[in-house]
Parts: sequence; structure tokens; C-alpha cells
Amino acid sequence: MTRYLLDVVENRSIGEYERAGGYQGLGKALSMEPGQVIEEVKKSGLRGRGGAGFPTGMKWMFAAGDPKSPKYIACNADEGEPGTFKDKAILDENPHLLIEGMAIAGHALKAELGYIYLRGEYLKEKDILETAISQARASGYLGENIMGSGKRFDVHVHLGAGAYICGEETALIDSLEGKRGQPRLKPPFPVNSGLWGSPTIVNNVETLANLPFIVREGAGRYVRIGDPGCPGNKLFPVSGHVERPGVYELPMGTTLREIIYEHAGGIKNGKTLKAVIPGGISAPVLPPGLIDCPMDFVSVQKQGSMLGSGGVMVFDEDTCIVRVAHRALEFFERESCGKCTPCREGTGWLRGILERIETRQGREGDIRLLEDVSKNITGNTFCPLGDGAAAAVLGFLMHFREEFAEHIKNGCPFGPDDLNPYHYNPVQP
Amino acid sequence: MIEFVINGKNIQAQPKTTILQAALANGIYIPHLCWDRRLLPYGGCRLCLVEVEGMHKFLASCSTPVKAGMIIHTETPKLEKARRTVLELLLVHHPLDCPVCDKAGECDLQDLAFKYGPVASRFADERKHEPESTAAPLIERNANRCILCGKCVRICKEHQGVGALNLIGRGFKTKVSPAFEETLDCEFCGQCVDACPVGALGTKSYKFRSRVWFMDEQENICPYCSVGCTSVLSLRDGQILRARGKDGVGISKGDLCPRGRFGFDFIESEHRLSTPLLRKEGKLEPASWQEALEFTARRLAEIKEAHGPRAIGALGSERCSVEDNYMLKKFMVLSLGSKNVDSRTRLGYAKQVEALKKTFGISRLALDLDAPLKADVIFVLESDLTSTHPVYGLKALAAHRDLKATLIVADPRESKLSRWSSQWLRIRPATGVALVNGIMSALIEADLFDKKAEAVKGFDELKKTLERYKPSAAAVMAGVSELDIRHAASALAAAKNPMFMACFGSSENTKGEGTALALMDLAILLGRGPEALGLPPEFANTMGTQMVLEGGETGLDAVEMLYGGQMKALVIMGENPVVTFPDTTRVMNTLGGLELLVVQDIMMTATAKLAHVVLPASGWGEKEGTFVGMTGKPQKIVKCLSEIGQGIPDWKILRNLGRLMHTDLDAKSFAGLSASALADIEQRQETAHPVFIPVEQETRESADGGHPLLFATGNLMQHSGSLTTISNNLDSAAPDAYLQINPSDADARRIYNDSFVKVSGRNGEAIYLKARVTDEVPQGMVFAPAHFAHAKVNLLTLPSKNGEAPIAAVKVDPA
Repeated sequence: MTRYLLDVVENRSIGEYERAGGYQGLGKALSMEPGQVIEEVKKSGLRGRGGAGFPTGMKWMFAAGDPKSPKYIACNADEGEPGTFKDKAILDENPHLLIEGMAIAGHALKAELGYIYLRGEYLKEKDILETAISQARASGYLGENIMGSGKRFDVHVHLGAGAYICGEETALIDSLEGKRGQPRLKPPFPVNSGLWGSPTIVNNVETLANLPFIVREGAGRYVRIGDPGCPGNKLFPVSGHVERPGVYELPMGTTLREIIYEHAGGIKNGKTLKAVIPGGISAPVLPPGLIDCPMDFVSVQKQGSMLGSGGVMVFDEDTCIVRVAHRALEFFERESCGKCTPCREGTGWLRGILERIETRQGREGDIRLLEDVSKNITGNTFCPLGDGAAAAVLGFLMHFREEFAEHIKNGCPFGPDDLNPYHYNPVQP
Repeated sequence: MIEFVINGKNIQAQPKTTILQAALANGIYIPHLCWDRRLLPYGGCRLCLVEVEGMHKFLASCSTPVKAGMIIHTETPKLEKARRTVLELLLVHHPLDCPVCDKAGECDLQDLAFKYGPVASRFADERKHEPESTAAPLIERNANRCILCGKCVRICKEHQGVGALNLIGRGFKTKVSPAFEETLDCEFCGQCVDACPVGALGTKSYKFRSRVWFMDEQENICPYCSVGCTSVLSLRDGQILRARGKDGVGISKGDLCPRGRFGFDFIESEHRLSTPLLRKEGKLEPASWQEALEFTARRLAEIKEAHGPRAIGALGSERCSVEDNYMLKKFMVLSLGSKNVDSRTRLGYAKQVEALKKTFGISRLALDLDAPLKADVIFVLESDLTSTHPVYGLKALAAHRDLKATLIVADPRESKLSRWSSQWLRIRPATGVALVNGIMSALIEADLFDKKAEAVKGFDELKKTLERYKPSAAAVMAGVSELDIRHAASALAAAKNPMFMACFGSSENTKGEGTALALMDLAILLGRGPEALGLPPEFANTMGTQMVLEGGETGLDAVEMLYGGQMKALVIMGENPVVTFPDTTRVMNTLGGLELLVVQDIMMTATAKLAHVVLPASGWGEKEGTFVGMTGKPQKIVKCLSEIGQGIPDWKILRNLGRLMHTDLDAKSFAGLSASALADIEQRQETAHPVFIPVEQETRESADGGHPLLFATGNLMQHSGSLTTISNNLDSAAPDAYLQINPSDADARRIYNDSFVKVSGRNGEAIYLKARVTDEVPQGMVFAPAHFAHAKVNLLTLPSKNGEAPIAAVKVDPA
């Protein structure tokens, strides 16, 4: 199995990275016409790794086709979704991979400036990135005349201020411009009017980190990795009740079962699996019966969930699903930006109902109410954040309806358990 | 045109029209809370969702442009469900304090809840308990009622260009607040209050005054600047309780500034006059109309007998109606045989009129409020238009911000326009002529001017004058860089539709007639006619007054009357020269030396205090009349209040005086008078014939070692002349005069912010003001607003009606 995202470099040094073939992709890209690079990325079938899975080559083509200049590359490193810590792995272990990817994107888009919008809490990663960037500048991979090509490209790190919504590409751009991070109206899309009104591509860290391999080894080799419809490797951050939580680089299309039981070592303490969230907290939950699902954008969607960021959250038999749902909605309520009514008020409402169910104050009809409110949020919010919250609730209800009913009837059957972070212990009435 | 269907009705609209706009234009109501005609689509409230056939989800109609063939439904059971949910969500936390909310009865949320809302709430949660924000003047905020539609935030930032309010916090904890939750300190235009769909924003003056359904509405023309906005007044028991802008009403289409929205209460000031006053044994005592008028008539006749009609003069007023001024002129000519009638326009607006006559051969400009929106380059010369003519100034801002016009601002003072400008030429005070000459010189040098201009009379003289204003030389005079001048010149030369904007206010002393001439020369050089000029008159009826008083033969003008020393008697109608005219000492001497001073006014002014007879007049809102504002079109003002005390309209006072002097002034009814007054001003048909009038850079005084700072005076957005200082509302927002001084000048003199300073002029006078240390003024310049009688700013200013700018040099010391 080929690994090209993680476990390549021992100590993050640029020398190690170069020895492992680093910056050869950039060298090759610079010898190509920008249009050829975009063509290569299109041929590779690379789909965005941030969650939506939009074909990267197509996004680039849109931006390249816009006559306005300058153009900007924005790297979305605002990794803030619970259960997702894959970008962190790249930033921690292999920062030059991202820098090289951005420089390739810069060449392809004829952009001279790139920004890494870094999650506010990633202070250590900020230092790592800044060190790596200055190494890259010193070695001529960034700056005025990159690799002697006469092209300019530079990268700046911009630290966010701790809002999940800034991972939404237009909110990210607003925040990068120094404004309050709130999603913008689309169209115009960032590829036409992004940062400072210029064409901007916003790509996830992992997406950009795929580029050096694609350019160096060629799209032909890349498409043979993973799922033919969605090639390449994917990082799967696995958390929760498994023996070996961590980030795993596996081909796209690896089944959930393989990820949980082979790579992550199975359920902790020999317990049985109760539920798994396959792609970060906004992906609807899946029951154990569905874990033979291959992890790629299409297959997971067929099971009523989504691949999202690939953040696999595993829950064992002792987990109270109502608490999980409540904890999830606490997150969405806190992170809703407040712009549109259904999300701002609806997430709070859903959280409130879940709280009363968990604290034995649930009412007859609360399940139907949860469903009704969720369905009226779905599709009616300004951006996907509200949809994600509603989808999460509907997912829990679809697969664990009886548990909710049981809670309303007899209260929570699970005792408090401080050792397990998923056994959230709400304030008793 | 795009064709589509809404609710089975075939509709056409221009491309880029949104579904909501198209629906509203065709009488189809789609509920909405966060949309406003003036703002960019926001898409926050999610009430305006509509169903479009073939789309898998609802679309927000406020932000979705129509497409050909769309089949749109605005009322379906599913949509009703979605809207009901949105309303239910909003009502979870909205306090049900409608019984004590001033918005009740005209609240969008209340109306929508009535239309769609659920009878019972399926969810009850703790409501918000934010304290009301009442610390700021005029505007109060109640965060508990806020539905976070963001209209106030956006109107402040996107439309007004201020950004005093913002959304702070996130998600459910979001609230509308000034930065860091400080007290609101803004322009106090109140646009946010009108925009608020619920009762989260309100005005102090209206709070708890009335339920909306007990009030009558009356539209009236705002009495302040010349834009002529329509202020919608709410009246109860013969009192104005509030003024609002109403979407689409009047030429301003609902926009108002602080004065238009809050300044109405001057009319109920405690300083209003209620009876005629007659000076008896040195003191002004109440008298009957008969006594006062008989005395006036007798004395006027005696003075005319003794000194001849030329010794009697009159000042009309830009505040009074066309009819009042027309009557004043008629009274002077017919009853006294004197042609000495003029007004304060002489010190301001008349400068541009004289310049217009000389360059284009016309005597007035009829401006289009929306003209700046059609320009691609706007050049603003030493004018803070968003303060003097707020709603007009906003158009320049919108042209730049929304329509990408180039905005070039030449002004030493920082203003809202300079902050938003594409290029800010921070010239030295009162050097507009040098700058414009420099630009013209650069245009000629680079051969960028319109070739038609070569054939215009005076072109050679202009070229000769411009020899002395090579961009390098002009740059030194104006204190900007040569490159800046060339840059501005090439931007103007490249313009398809340039516009030249400035305001010649009577209290602004950085511009003279020369400034207007230079600006007009520039327009001619670029092949433009008077339509490219955006020079608004100062006050609501400045243009009307000027047209009436300058019609026919004229005698002495205001400057000659007040500073010439030949007058024996003056009739002053609605003017307060002691405060509003420059060089107060000389004005006081003139007025003090008169054998008769008659003052007609609505209040006891500093001038009235010197009078022999004071006659109480009705104010705006208490009488009918006509204003001619910047559009040049007469606008009717209506009577909606009863007169105070024995006050009567100015024209009636003069008619009665005329009767006592046995002259028939032919004013049996207001309608007849109005018709003849308007006929008098409407007959003019003028065509422009351009002529170059080269001008030199001149100022009355320049700074030197003894008086090192240039003292500029001007206007604030919250005030208009001295009239608004009796408005309690506006007084609370801008209560006092101050002296703006640059930090480096302040440091050098050990002057601190808010400390008192002594400002002394070359004429030996000195005034005391509070210092405001700010880099809004450049080094070497100080600025004071001219509105406040108690500040006596005009002790230091200089009268001027000719080419030079009357700026004064002063010395500033800590007091």
C-alpha cells in the first residue's frame, strides 16, 4: 500500500522531506503550463477532502477561467468539527507537503499569494507551519523566484479566532478579510469573487496535500489508488471506544469495518459496537449493521450518511445515544453563527428538547417534535451548518428511536460515567 | 426582459431582479424581515422562502435572481409550514411585551405572527434578560426584542457608511451592539430605528408617548438643508411626536438624516416668541400687534422721510418660504421704495450663482438627487457633503461603493467621503483654486482636455493663468504631491461622466467665488456643461430665496448693508446675523447704530434682543408655503400644527404692515400670493454658453508667526445653521461647539483633549472653546462648527462675497 500523506518524513525537516521526493512535484509542475497542471488534477479525479467532495480540478478550472486577477489560494485549515483531526496530522508531521501543494496550486491558478486559515487552537501547528514556510523560502520553494522559474508565490498563516463556521469557505474568506465570519451569499462563488473580491480557491489541507503526489507520479498512477470513482488515499481520524484511536491513511473505499477492527484495533475492552459516526459530527450516525459500507463519498451517502471529513467516531454498547445527540447539538448551538433564524434558534430548540429527554423531563410527542423541527431546518438554512445539525438529529432518531422512547418513558438507563468522555453527564434537575 | 411565472401570473422583469423584488413590484407579498430595498440581500430571516418547480429545496426569494421560465409559488402548504416554523422559532425568545412596546401596531413580527403564527408555542425557553441600552442620546436599544435580522447593522455600514453597530457574539448569543459593547456614539441619523422591523430600536423622544393607532400621519418637507427630503410626521393632540422616513416617499424615498428625523422639536422650543415686543425705556416689553405694527410703520415712514429709502434695508431668510420672501421684497419696493433686500445667501450660495452667471451665463442649477449615481468619476472639493447635505452626500458614497465610481475628495479635513474615497487629496485649507488650477494645467500639459474647449472664449487667458499653476507649482501651493494632481487629472480625463461636487455654505470660509469659478472652468475644460456640477444650495429654501430676492432690480446686498455703515433701518425676517454672519463685532456695531431694527422671527434670537420691535412669526409646520431646494422644483410645505401664541406667518406680518402704510400688496389669500410668487420665479428659461473665467489662488488671511493656524468654520451633520440648536433632540446629540486641532499642534501648545483653549484672531477678538484633539484636521488648521450662538465663533471670521476664500488666521493657546 502506498502512503504519501503521512509517515513519510521523520522529523518534519525540509531535508528529510526533499530526500523522500519532496518538492519534486512542484518542480515538475513549474515545468508544465498552468493549464496542464489543472488538466492533470482533473484527470486524477481528486475530490475535495474537506467534506463536500467537490471535484478539485473543476473548482480550479472555474477560478482559472475567471479573467479577474490577482487570484488567491486559501487553504482551509480551520479543522473544528468534533471527531476530525486529520489535517492536524499533516500539519504536525508533514507541513512541507501542504506548502508544496499550495505552491503547485499557485502555479496552476497563476496566483502569487496563498493563505493558510488555521484553526485558532492550533498554536503549535502555527509554529510548525511558520518554521516550515521560512525553510521553504530559504530553499527557494517560496518567494520571489521559486525554484528558479521566475514565478512568485508566498504563503501566510492566518490564525482564526475559534469559530467553527469559519470552516465554511465564504465565512473563512470574510474572516480572512478581517470581518465577522459569516457565510456569504452564493453565487458569486469564491472561484469568481472570493478574497477581496478576487477569484479564490478554498481547498482543504488534505486536498492540497494530495497534489505533490498527483503531479510527481502522474494522474495515471493516482487513479489506481483507492476507489475508481473517487481515487487516492484518505485520512481517517478514528476516535472513541477503540483500542488504537488515531489517524489512518488508507485508500478511499476502505470499509468502516476494516478501519475500526483492523486498523484501530477493535472496540476497547472487548465491548461491542453500538454506533458509529462515519464523517464528523454532522454526518448521521450508522448502526453496527451498516459498517461494511466502503468509506467513499458515494457509498456512505447511499447509507443515509456522508463521508464528510472522514472522522470516524466509535461508540460502544455503554454509550447513551441521547447524550451523544445532546452533546452534538450543544456544539451546533454554540457554533451557529447566528445569521439565519432556523439555525440560530432551531439548534437551541433541538438541544433543549434533547436535554429534557435526557434529564427525564421528556414529553409524549417529543420525538415527533424533534423530527418536525429538524425537517423544517433542513434545506431552509443559509449554509450547511444548520442542515448538519438537523441531519445529525434525524440520524440518531432513525436508528435509535426506541432508546429515545425509553428515555421519555423511564429516564436514562445509563448511569453516570466520568471516565468515558461520551458519557456526558447533564445537570440533574 | 426575463419571463417567468409567480403564482400562475406571467411576470416580466429585468435580469438580476430577485424573485422578491419581482413579486413585490407585481403586488405579490412575500413575507420578509431582513430585506431592505437599499441593502444587499442578506438571506438571514428565511421567511421569504419560495417554492420553485424543479428545485429540490426552497429558495430564499430575497437573494435568488429570477430566471427565464421559472415557475414560482409563494404560498403553498409546505411553505406555510416552513414560515410558521421560522416564526415559532423567532417567538421562542421574543418577549411578548407588545402592550408596552412602542412598535406594537406597526411591527412586522406582530403582523406576521398574526398572519401565520401558531396559537400556542411548542417550546418554551428562558427569554433574554438583557438590560436596555439607554445611555446614548436619541437612540435606545432593547436587545430582548431583537430578532437579529441585521438590518440596523447593514443600513449603518452599507448604506450610511458608518458601521457604528455590529453583530457581536455568535449563534444564539449574538447581539447588536457598538464595538466592545460601548455606548453608541454615531451620527445619530436614526436610519437604524426606521429600519428595525420590531421594537428593538427606538427613539428616546417617542418612547412611551403614544400608541401608533392614535396618531395621524402628515408628510412634510424637511426644513433644514436643500435636499428637500420628505419627513413623515406622526401627530397627536396638535403635537409632533416623531418624524420618520417612509420607504418610497418623497425624493429621498425614505432616507433621512439626524436633522430630518430628530430636528422637528425646535418648533416647540421654550424660546419661541408668543407676542410682539416693543422696546420701551430700553427694554423689550410685550405689546399688542396694533401697537407694534403702528410703531413700526410710523418709524419706517419717518426714517424714509429723513434719510431716503436707500437708508432702509431688509434681510430675508433661507428658512422662510418663497411667499414670505416674495412679500418682503414687495413690501420693501412698494411700501418703502427701497430695493435693498438680500439674505445670507450672499455669503454662501450667491458665490456659486455669480460664478455660474459668469461662466455659463445661467443663474441656477436644478440638481438631480440621483445624478451622482450616474457618474463614473466624482470630484468633491473642500466640502463635507455627507454633513451639509447628508442624503445627497450618501449618493456620492453609494456611487463609489456600490457602482464603483472613482471618488476623488480634495479636502484638508477628514470626512466620511474622504474616508471612503478612491483618492484623498489632503490639500492645505482654502487652496482649492490652486489644486483645480493645477489639475487643469496637468490636463492641458498632457493634452487630455476636451478639444471643444479651445474654441471657448477665454481659453487663451486660462492657459496664460495656468502657466503659474504647473502641477509642480500647484502641488506646493496646495500641499499635495505633483503625482497626486496628475493622477486626479488623468482619472477625470478618462471619465465618461464626471461630476464636480461642492457646497458653498455661508458658514464655510474655505471657499470663495473663485473656488466655484475654478471648478466650473475645470468642467468646461473637460467638455462638460452645468449638468456635471453638483453644487447644492445650502438650506431648504436657499434657492427659492435667492431667486425671489434677486429678481428684478436690486439695491445694496447683505454685505454692503451689514458692513457698509449706511443703513438707518433694517427689517430682518427669520435671520440672526449676530450669530450667523461673520465678524460679529462689526455686525453688532451696525445693528446697534440703527435708528430702527425690526426683527420678525420664531424665537428670541441674539439679533432680536437688539431690536426695537420684535414680531412673532409662525414656524415650519405652522404655516403653508413653498420651498425651492436643490432640485429647483417648488415643494409645498404644509400646515399641520396650530400657531404658537400670537404668531402669524411672515407674509401676513408684512401684508399687515403694508396695509398700515397704505400700500396694497395684493395678498388677499395665501393661494393668490403663492401663485404670483411662484410665477415670478418659474419663468426663467436659460441656456448655458460656457466662458472660461481664469482665477488666481487667493485667501483673505494667511498664517504667520503671530497667528500660525488657519481657522476654518463649517457645519456638523447634526445641525443646520443656528436653528437646530433649539432642538432638544439634536442638542442632546451634538450639544456644544469645539475646536478640532491636530495632535501635533496641540502637543506643541500643551493642549489636551477636552481642555479649554483661547482662540485669538488678527482683529483682536478672542473666543474660548473646548479642544478636540484629532487628526481629522491637518497640522496648521483648526476647525470649529459655526452653529452655536454661545461659542461666538463668528467673532473671528471675515465677510467675503468675492473671489477669495475668507479663511482667518488665528492663535490658539491653552485657556
